[in-house]
Order: sequence, then C-alpha cells, then structure tokens
Amino acid sequence: MDAILNSLLAALPRRSYLRLLPGLTPVELVFGEVLYESGQVIRDVYFPTQSLVSLLTLVEGHLALEVGLVGREGMVGIPLALGIDVSPVRALVQGAGPALKMSAARFRTELRRSPPLQRELDRYIHAMMAQISQTAACNRFHVVEARLARWLLMTRDRVRSGEFRMTHEFLSHMLGVRRVGVTEAASALQRQKLIEYSRGNIRILDDRGLEAACCSCYGIVKDMHDAAPLPSLGAFAQRAAWAANTSATQAVRRLA
Amino acid sequence: MRTRRSPKQNHLLAALPAAELLRLSPHLERVPLPLGAVIYESGGEQDYVYFPASGIVSLLYVMNDGASAEIAVVGSEGMVGIALFMGGETTPSRAVVQSAGSAYRLEATVIKAEFARGEALQRLLLRYTQSLITQMTQTAVCNRHHVLEQQLCRWLLLSLDRLPSNQLVMTQQLIANMLGVRREGVTEAAGRLQADGLINYRRGRINVLDRAKLEERVCECYAVVRRESDRLMVPETALAA
Repeated sequence: MDAILNSLLAALPRRSYLRLLPGLTPVELVFGEVLYESGQVIRDVYFPTQSLVSLLTLVEGHLALEVGLVGREGMVGIPLALGIDVSPVRALVQGAGPALKMSAARFRTELRRSPPLQRELDRYIHAMMAQISQTAACNRFHVVEARLARWLLMTRDRVRSGEFRMTHEFLSHMLGVRRVGVTEAASALQRQKLIEYSRGNIRILDDRGLEAACCSCYGIVKDMHDAAPLPSLGAFAQRAAWAANTSATQAVRRLA
Repeated sequence: MRTRRSPKQNHLLAALPAAELLRLSPHLERVPLPLGAVIYESGGEQDYVYFPASGIVSLLYVMNDGASAEIAVVGSEGMVGIALFMGGETTPSRAVVQSAGSAYRLEATVIKAEFARGEALQRLLLRYTQSLITQMTQTAVCNRHHVLEQQLCRWLLLSLDRLPSNQLVMTQQLIANMLGVRREGVTEAAGRLQADGLINYRRGRINVLDRAKLEERVCECYAVVRRESDRLMVPETALAA
C-alpha cells in the first residue's frame, strides 16, 4: 500500500483510515482554482497531498490577507468539522497538485462515526487557530521582510521544496501589503543571498539564514503543527506542477 | 427575562437542553473574575474552563519579547479555554480579565468527559470555536488594513456588546496593550472620538454617548464578527428541531 501523504489522514488508526478510503477521491487541484468562496456553502473537503491552499479574507470585496495556509499537514473545510456548512474565507489553490476530496455529506457521516477523525481534526484546528492568532499579532508587530521570510518558509514546509513560482502581486495579497513593499523586502532578502527571485520564480538559497531573518512567529506555529507526525517523503517529483503554473498575477486578477 | 446569578447568564450554558445543564450543574462553580486577573498564561496548563456570566476576558497573543496584542474577546456569549477540549492541552495565548465580572468554571476532566459524549455541549462548543476563529481572522485583517481609530471603534463596540451598560472601566495604557500600539496613538484616537461627541473619557472611564455614530465610524470587521457570532449561536433546541 502507498504511503499516506496527508499527515492528518496518516495519523488516524489504520482501521479508521481504511473506512474513510472509499469516500476519498483523488483530484488534481489547479493553480488559481477557488475551492470555496467566502460565504458559500462548502460542498467538499480536501486533504492536500502535494498541493497548497491559501485561506484568504476579503475586505470590501477585495483580497486582503492570507490567514491560513493548508498543505499536506491539514484539511481544507474545517468549518464542516465544527458543524458549520458555510466558509467564512476564500480557499484558493496556490500550489497545484494532487489532493483527496470527500463530499460534505460523506464527511459529516464519517465524522459522526469516527471519534479518532474528530480528535485529529480538533488538534489540527487548534494548531490552525494558533496560526491565525499569530498572523494577527505578526501583522501588528513585524516588518514586511520578516513576514515575507516566514511566509516563504511556511510555503517551503508545505510543498517540501525550496523553489516555487510566485509573483509580487500575489505575495502582496498574501501579506496584505503594497507591491512596492514586497519588492523592497524581496530585494533585501536577495541582497543577503537568502533567496533568488527572478521572473516570478523564488528559490530559497539559505534555509538557516532565512529562518534567522524571519520573526519568532514561524517557529511557534511550526512547533504546534509538528506536534502531529509528518509522514516521511521520498524525493518527490520536483515541482513539475509548480513550474507549469499559469501566471499568479492573472489568477489573482481573475479572482479578486 | 432577567436571570440572576444562574449559569444561564452564560449563553452557551443557557443554550443547553435542560437535562444536560442539570448534569453539569453540580460541577459548575461560580467564581469572581477580578479586573486584571490572568486566567491562563500562554503555554501554561489549564485546570478549568470558564463560562463568563458577566465581564470580559481578553485573549492576548504574547510575543517572545513580551509585547502582546489582543486576538479575541470573550464575554457571556462564550467560553475561555477551548484548547482543553481541542486536544491542545496548553494554550498559545494569555487570558486576562479586561472587565470585572464572574464566571462559572468546570474542571478539565469534567469538560473533557462531557465533550466526548458528543451531545449538545460538543456541538455548541465546536460552533463557538468557529465564531472565535472568525474573530481572530478579522483581528488579523484589521491590524493590517485599518487605521487605529477604526480599530478603537471596533474594540469599543465588541466590549460594549459584552457589558450591561455604556460604561467601560479602562485606562488608555490598557487599551494600548490590547491593541498592541503605543499609548499616544490611543490618546489621539480617543481624543478625536471625544471631540466628535461619540465618547466621554475621564479618569479611566469611557462612556459611550453615541453608539450609532460609533457604528458608522467602525470598519467592517465589527459587523463581520457580530454577524458570524449571531448566526452561529442558535440555541441547541432550535437546531434539534
């Protein structure tokens, strides 16, 4: 049997996992795809395996800020696990790749009959809340450069790669700052030889250095998520899907 | 109908079916919430959860360097200590009494056992968790996008919703700590609100004179949080129907 790539699913007892399996459909998430719109009914939940989903809030109808990042450690659709069927945030695919999908109805049934699933989700939601509250405090206290460094590391951890495509405009929505702010911060990191950034392609050159450049928020949230074991991964096909992404800018414009 | 000194002063407890509240009743202990008391320390163990009957508890995110910022407020509509039943054991934030009152507390073992039964209390607490997540999310956005005066309006309105009168006992320094800004900034913003006749601020007491105007000035964040919390906090009896 293949390794279970989503760590939330991997943490379940074998029996619980096997019972979920028939309800899980493999899907390919496409870059820029909106899984849920803010205020809309959630039809499916997603367990990313090699994809990345941003949870974004809107202010006056415009993309304002990323408040959560979901990769292989989690699930998209936590309101359902809390008994709510409407998503308060927009869920936007930010890293294309495979995920496992389950219908909302099926998920609710499984949740009722699987206490281990509920327990794992509760733990995950708790870690997620730490991520959100830390984002709130981080926005208050930390400079763009440190926040950008944190965001790059969070992305790296979730896609298991130090290289990804990302435009300034997209980053500006994620961090909630103007494009020029992103440009300045990215140049500063580049000058310190921590990253290389050209034509929308970001490569982390110095992991240690980047960790030193980011604020303490990164470590705190990482520790919370690391409380749940991650499955070990082999050398995954390096970012073929990522490289094939359409322009992030276009996607954001289309969606904003 | 006014309920005096009863667990039903807390909306979550009041929303429980009678049988469940009866089962919890022997374990509910009424305790005072004195101003400034620290209910949980960030990273600390939690022995109890608290259902406020009155007063306000502030959840603060504490940075490594000691700076703090409020990420949510909890009054009689909610509960303090969700980490306990969410399996987190320790809390990532500090809980401080921002406005004196009282609460009903439950021992950790009791709330965990009750939560595990998977009945009305579990459903209520999970829904409450979602409304808390919305409040935290909106705080993150507000910190990023809105000016201090709007944030102060939001903070005042969220507090007022949780208090019986239009008066808050609060120093400017404390507000500054909550909002994670310098005191001068709060003084300036509060001064403008006072000059425009929205509030009256004297010796650590804030009287809100014109709530409607405050609601006009506030950013959308207040309404988002309010709406979500109203929507989610439907009585259990209504849901079962």
